[in-house]
Amino acid sequence: MKKATGLFILTGLLVMGCGNRASAPGVSEDKILIGNVQDLSGPMKELGAVLPAGSNLYFRYVNENGGVHGRQIEMKVEDHQYNPQKAVAAAKKLIEKDQVFCLYQVIGTSPCEAIRPILAESGTPLVAPATQSGSMSDMSREAADLIFHTDTGYDKQTRILVDNILADNVNAKIGLIYQDDDYGENVLKGAAVAESSTGVAIQKEAYQRGATDFAGQVANLMKGGATHVIIAGVVKEPIIVMKTAAAMGYAPKFYGTSPTMDHRVSLAAGPAGEGFTSANFASLWNSDAVAAVLYRELCSKYEVPEAYMGMYHFYGFITAQVLVEGLERAGQYPTRERLVNGLETLNNWDGGAFPPITYSQTDHAGTESVILVEVKEGVQTVITDWID
Amino acid sequence: MKGRYEDENLTWIPLLIVGIFLLPFMLKGITYSYKYYLFVLNMAGIYIILTVGLDLLSGYTGLISLGHSAFLAIGAYTSAILVDQVGIPFILSLVISPLIVGIFGFLIGFPALRITGMYLGLTTMGFGFIVKRLIIALRVWTKGAGGLEVSPPVIFGFTFNSDWDNYFLIFTCAIIAVVVGRRIGKSKIGRALMAIRDSEQAAEATGVHLAKYKMLAFFISGLFAGFAGALFAHTSHFISTDHFDIILSIYFIIMILVGGVSSIYGAVLGTLFIVLLDYLFVPELKDLIHGVFNIEGGDIQSLLFGLIMFLFIIFQPTGLYGMWIKMKIYWKLFPFNPKKRLI
Repeated sequence: MKKATGLFILTGLLVMGCGNRASAPGVSEDKILIGNVQDLSGPMKELGAVLPAGSNLYFRYVNENGGVHGRQIEMKVEDHQYNPQKAVAAAKKLIEKDQVFCLYQVIGTSPCEAIRPILAESGTPLVAPATQSGSMSDMSREAADLIFHTDTGYDKQTRILVDNILADNVNAKIGLIYQDDDYGENVLKGAAVAESSTGVAIQKEAYQRGATDFAGQVANLMKGGATHVIIAGVVKEPIIVMKTAAAMGYAPKFYGTSPTMDHRVSLAAGPAGEGFTSANFASLWNSDAVAAVLYRELCSKYEVPEAYMGMYHFYGFITAQVLVEGLERAGQYPTRERLVNGLETLNNWDGGAFPPITYSQTDHAGTESVILVEVKEGVQTVITDWID
Repeated sequence: MKGRYEDENLTWIPLLIVGIFLLPFMLKGITYSYKYYLFVLNMAGIYIILTVGLDLLSGYTGLISLGHSAFLAIGAYTSAILVDQVGIPFILSLVISPLIVGIFGFLIGFPALRITGMYLGLTTMGFGFIVKRLIIALRVWTKGAGGLEVSPPVIFGFTFNSDWDNYFLIFTCAIIAVVVGRRIGKSKIGRALMAIRDSEQAAEATGVHLAKYKMLAFFISGLFAGFAGALFAHTSHFISTDHFDIILSIYFIIMILVGGVSSIYGAVLGTLFIVLLDYLFVPELKDLIHGVFNIEGGDIQSLLFGLIMFLFIIFQPTGLYGMWIKMKIYWKLFPFNPKKRLI
């Protein structure tokens, strides 16, 4: 009887052990394969090369320090050319053919939206989608339980900027220049929330993605008497808008959403960009934040080309930190479900760059605050603490 | 088995159809990543429906269109709105959406009465830009540039929820489109369209009503694009303005050029060739390409497509289908072939 009981317990333990070691796609004894879909040859290809390079910098550091539970992280990058249909094909290839463990940092709102059905069908998590669209953390959407957003949404950023402007000047007349795509759509959502909560009407001027002439929009804002203008663009848009306004003798105070925070904006805009204030959801790469210090050390150690170093490369680096933390918490024998569960245990987790990140079963937004960065005498200077 | 026309041998058609429907089972047996290949084939199937219609317009009638991605978009958004917001059944939407796109095609056909060639191409391209702006402006129904979530196709209570299910739906529709396209091409309408392409004056002299047939060509082409658009929306589950870029219209033209203009089978071959090249060949070889030339796969793709189009126009204007016909004739006459190059 004792023997039988012992055998029963031993069998039970073995079964439990096997259950615990349940294998997952992309996970082998010594490697975890993750998939990334970037824009390597489309309209955002400048970012497409830089973001994964920043992530690989951190993965290299982790791998050289023994990896995650002894496994080396390897990242496979596919190109979607900023085409949602190509993004679906790339995600399918990574999940079905290359058998990646999870998706990470897929760039662009519409590509991320387009791959939701694949995530839901395959149960594959998407960690740190490279878009600040608030729709990524909308828990009512398909596959929302599998998407972990790291960035404060454009809608929240816009609302914070409006609140900040009105706190400085209650009589401010606010203008908004936005890209008429998915990015701008989310900015408009934030503007609508701000309008209803403050009762202030915002003058909105749209532009097409890729536009290089903003004279019409600037003239309209000038005519409308906007004293504070929020630019929801990327890099070249704020530069051209501010230079155009300066040439037209129009001098409102300019603000920008996080993509405009790139240091090239202040460099290229020159005197016209003085005072430009942008919102950002992470500490600056050249600041004293813990992650920024480590980032610069590793850039120096691994001789990262200077052209790569900056906001977007650093962004790749810090989102990789979140993924690695999730993989650590997924345990010795990770599965996709364990990665989701592991990430949902992050509670005010401080990686040294983002504001403290908290995920739960009902909230995958991660962060909801920003810092404001103002260009003072040509230098980007942080002027606030985390605000929300 | 002979078809309606003396030169048509249709023996292989039933075999091909059986092959098409057995393909998913074969893929499933061969590779664990069959779902990925089915997704690519599904896309090719949808584009085949559109290019068959485009071939009737640009190949048969000689009216160039750079606005077919816009027709696809109208079909997709119309069907998504009709099914998900108005509440009509998907099967009914498969009829109504093409008709609405056909009407748009009919309206775009008006300029074609006065202009041809490059100017018509530019006009249709402009139509593409207008449609994109319209989709963004009508955000109450389209959700603007943020994109629209679309329900899966449901026919008689059966929901087509996966690439596997979608394959059978899409290829049934594609086969119907090819058969209808062939019939139109061989009918009185098809002959009138070809007569217009070859010489408008001669066609008019033989009693072909130019205005009627030109606008009919746009209408028919719109029907096919609308049909493809409805399938596209419901099998993709998400549509946005980024899906229907102007470059897609150019790819459609490349597809019919590579396949062989004025040939429905050519449109099928050209579409398969370009989609498989774009979605299977280039991604597979992108690392190799990047290693050798230090350029990204997407960049080489544009280069490759440009080169393919260039080579086909210069050396093989009858396209892949023309090559196939020449090869057939060669083997039929073998060994008594005239001293000519095979291709």
